[in-house]
Amino acid sequence: MSIINYVNKEVQFKIVYYGPALCGKTTNLSYIHSHVADTSRGELVSLATAADRTLFFDFLPLNALIIKGFGTRFQLYTVPGQVIYNATRQLVLRSVDGVVFVADSQWDKMQENVESFRNLQDNLVLQRLDIDRIPYVLQYNKRDTPNPAPVHYMDYILNNRPVRVPSYEAVATNGQGVFATLNAISRLLLRKFVRETEETAAAGKARAEAPAVTALSGIAAGTRR
Amino acid sequence: MNPTPVPPHSPADVPAATATNIASPAQRLQSVLADFLDKTQAAFSLVLDRGGAILCQYGNLSGSTDNAILAALAAGSFAATKELAARLGEAEFNTLHHQGKNANILVSTVDDDAVLMTVFGPETTVGLVKFYSVGTVAYLAALLKEARTSPDSQVAVSRHDLTAVGNIFPQ
Repeated sequence: MSIINYVNKEVQFKIVYYGPALCGKTTNLSYIHSHVADTSRGELVSLATAADRTLFFDFLPLNALIIKGFGTRFQLYTVPGQVIYNATRQLVLRSVDGVVFVADSQWDKMQENVESFRNLQDNLVLQRLDIDRIPYVLQYNKRDTPNPAPVHYMDYILNNRPVRVPSYEAVATNGQGVFATLNAISRLLLRKFVRETEETAAAGKARAEAPAVTALSGIAAGTRR
Repeated sequence: MNPTPVPPHSPADVPAATATNIASPAQRLQSVLADFLDKTQAAFSLVLDRGGAILCQYGNLSGSTDNAILAALAAGSFAATKELAARLGEAEFNTLHHQGKNANILVSTVDDDAVLMTVFGPETTVGLVKFYSVGTVAYLAALLKEARTSPDSQVAVSRHDLTAVGNIFPQ
């Protein structure tokens, strides 16, 4: 569930870019940072090794004015893709609202894609979250590599669940598909947020009306006696 | 000169919302932070969710530091030390102190979901900040518990309030 700053009533969504090592998670954030409007972006922070491999996470805060009267912040994180950093991935997933799973389209990366997706499911379970209950989208990155795996095959191995999620072809190095992916996960999160707040409001209204109905029933019962 | 320390309060002392105390949980959260900064002479306090989102903040930092980045880094740093504590048989370390030449950060556990980050300079001491943080986090924990369920703290939004649902971030 999104988190609200109690003081300025800003709604905050946490989006985590997940996927195998070197699939392009950090490249997505770098492209977004360099191409989104200056007024919408914060600083891109990367906790990386000397060789530019993500050690802890990358972080990019984005502002949007899309809900009347409320500020909205999308906090974009990446996780380290290397297998040994699983504990770190678990930490970054804490309080996650939505996920972008970045898959590598190269044939020899299919096994890593599948293992990383399973790892995502396992780590969500540790956060008491179910992959089928949180918004996520798939991004098939590196479509510019020679002979990439067909999209229908990647759908078959990664998007073959009871509910199919949106998937996007991408070349993160030149920006193809990057904003389509970001906008898709942002829309899913907004819709879920609005649905949940409407349900909460309806439940509150029902609770407020319930005692009055009970009281009236009591009066009616008393009258009958 | 630092104020004379007095014993921290207990959570039972947290003022409840009554007919004579109608401040919202958000206002009372800010009031607790203001009082904490006043007593400690610290510069800035921020209550954050352990996932890195800001719940409330008070005070000022010099420069143009983005609070969202501070929160993300503090949450990550605190979470990492939890793993370190686990290796030593501790559930977690309750406080984390980063000491610099002119700036310090103290991060303290509030509850299972939140931590308090305090930024302070040479005008105060880590001992004083730590001392008052004990009572402050107890206050904050009780207030956050109330705020999480209070209608005053919720955002009432319907689908008609959305101003854009297409390209939220145009390239």
